[in-house]
Amino acid sequence: MSNSYSSETPQAEKDTASSLSVQATRYNPPWKSPYIIGIAGFSGSGKTTVAHKIIKEINEPWTVLLSLDNFYKPLTREQSKKAFNNEYDLDKPNALDLDLVYKCIKALKDGKKAEIPVYSFAKHARTGETFTIYGANVIIIEGLYTLYSEDMLKLMDCKVYVDTDLDICYSRRLLRDTEERGRDLEGIIKQWDLFVKPNSIRYVKPTMQSADIIIRRGSDNKVAMDLLLEHIKKQLESKSVTHLLQLKQLGRQIKALNLSKVHVIPVTNQLRVIKTILLDKKTSNDDFIFNFNRVASILIAHALDFVEYVTSLPGGGDILTPVGAPVRDTMYVKGEIVAVDIIRGGDCFISSLTRTLPAVRIGKLLIQSDSRTGEPHLHTEKLPALDSTCNVLLFDAQIIAGAAVTMAINVLLDYGVAEDRIIVCAYLATEAGVTRISNAFPKVQVVVGSLGSRYGGGNGPETGDKDSDWWMAYRFIDARYFGTD
Amino acid sequence: MSEVYKNIIRLRQTNQLKCLYTIIRDKNTKRADFIFYSNRIIRLLVEEGLNQLPIKPKTVVTPTESTYEGADFQGKICGVSIIRAGESMEKGLRDCCRSVRLGKILIQRDEETALPKLFYVKLPTDISERYVLLLDPLLATGGSAAMAIDVLKKRGVPEDRIIFLNVLASPEGIAMFREKYSKVKVVTGMIDQGLNERKYVIPGVGDFGDRYYCI
Repeated sequence: MSNSYSSETPQAEKDTASSLSVQATRYNPPWKSPYIIGIAGFSGSGKTTVAHKIIKEINEPWTVLLSLDNFYKPLTREQSKKAFNNEYDLDKPNALDLDLVYKCIKALKDGKKAEIPVYSFAKHARTGETFTIYGANVIIIEGLYTLYSEDMLKLMDCKVYVDTDLDICYSRRLLRDTEERGRDLEGIIKQWDLFVKPNSIRYVKPTMQSADIIIRRGSDNKVAMDLLLEHIKKQLESKSVTHLLQLKQLGRQIKALNLSKVHVIPVTNQLRVIKTILLDKKTSNDDFIFNFNRVASILIAHALDFVEYVTSLPGGGDILTPVGAPVRDTMYVKGEIVAVDIIRGGDCFISSLTRTLPAVRIGKLLIQSDSRTGEPHLHTEKLPALDSTCNVLLFDAQIIAGAAVTMAINVLLDYGVAEDRIIVCAYLATEAGVTRISNAFPKVQVVVGSLGSRYGGGNGPETGDKDSDWWMAYRFIDARYFGTD
Repeated sequence: MSEVYKNIIRLRQTNQLKCLYTIIRDKNTKRADFIFYSNRIIRLLVEEGLNQLPIKPKTVVTPTESTYEGADFQGKICGVSIIRAGESMEKGLRDCCRSVRLGKILIQRDEETALPKLFYVKLPTDISERYVLLLDPLLATGGSAAMAIDVLKKRGVPEDRIIFLNVLASPEGIAMFREKYSKVKVVTGMIDQGLNERKYVIPGVGDFGDRYYCI
């Protein structure tokens, strides 16, 4: 049997721990509170350029740039006809579906998915397609009326107005529309005089009042840009500090909690030998891969003990063997088994996984720690359709801080996976790491090959590994496995 | 795994294992699935068989130039399969031990005497110095396994260096081993109800070799 692991706790430590427990057991990933920047200004004022400068300078993974252009209301046939003759006012605030904008931003602010419509200017209609944005660390919204509605303003952390002289905007627009969009000069002028100019003065300009920062003359204004960037960086840093602090607290008050869902596979002779090979610097790449694949197979076999099984299938009759005898202890997997791997550590399991479950669907998450702060960031999530009936095996080669796995579990829960149907599978894990995971998600099963101990002295089965041993504290398996060390 | 009797080791009877057996027992299971799921069970058996091998301490230098007090297997091994069904387990063994030496023994029932008869033996020359993993997926009466073990003993392999791996065993076969070859380690996936009048394991999986190779 797998050893369920729990540890003895000195009373004093329990007491201090419980006072922390309320906030510490709740994990709030950073995308549940994205930092939202709104940029408004006239058409041609340089909003997009400012946005791109911000993206480049803050260099924050998972930044989303959202243009209000996607949110034009679809036009009726008549309106559309007018629009093609440059006689329809596309520049007044109610040409935009600002309610939908609010809904999308609100969803993102709450850490949920948002479906953004795709608008075709050629047809003056929504294409019917949407693209999905799933959370983000930073969201930049750009458009004429970004700062127009009170509700939207409340969602924004930083409000920017790009204040460029209307004449300059006009000349830029002329250039852009004739050269890039191939429109005729007469139409552009007509549209400008009839709609763009009056609307800009009447509706856009007043929104400048709501801005925190006004950038005169656009992104070339170095002083204003520097101020803006410095401010945003500071804000993001404090957000990241809060996130890291929270992750730390999850790990800190482990003692009072029960780690009954953490299963360390029995230490066998083979596992001892394999580990020796994996830790030996003289081991060739070939032998390293072969032996890791072996240990991965063993771990996968153990992890599969925790998927849901049923003794009969609906509508299934007796199972007979070729000699005609009925099979008594039938067993079937309930629900689909889906694998999700955290790039790149989890990738080391895929070869063994597809030998055990050849047609398993595999989702991938790229979560990396910021080398400066150590804060984990979710860069990419490519997941198959998931729901509460799925058994999800979540792979990583090593659990060190546990932050990446914690974050990955959160993504899975957002996708509708049931917490008790998630099975984390890792070869080496620190006590601090698994504690953090178990504290945040007490129903998640964690299957590990070797568990470290923080204070030394055999808490887990007799592996003798300490959290401080280099192979527990340092990510080396994926580099060796893929030969990039 | 659990040791049901001394030297009789049975895999952990997990839901997962029962699930695999449900598939291979079902007479309606197609050959491709039979092979795939049998291979998964065989892999678990091989892993467990290898765990029976003794280890010795080994100190290695790690990439950080520190030392690690680890372990290494003591002694050499080889596989010996009983033709034909036993050969289905060779791949599982080589998946864990690349280029492991494989001996083969062919035993067939003599139609005149109804007793098992030895037809063919090819074994590594230094087999007496090796631990032997004996491969045959079904342990029914144990007639051919007994004959194979006698061959190995004659070649100088002591009983306690033989580990017999089988997917399915009958209580009769297990009893025979406990009585006649008590030092041989038997690693089995499941122990079934018994044998029928034609000496088939009940409920069993049918003729393993036929289902793996022909049907």
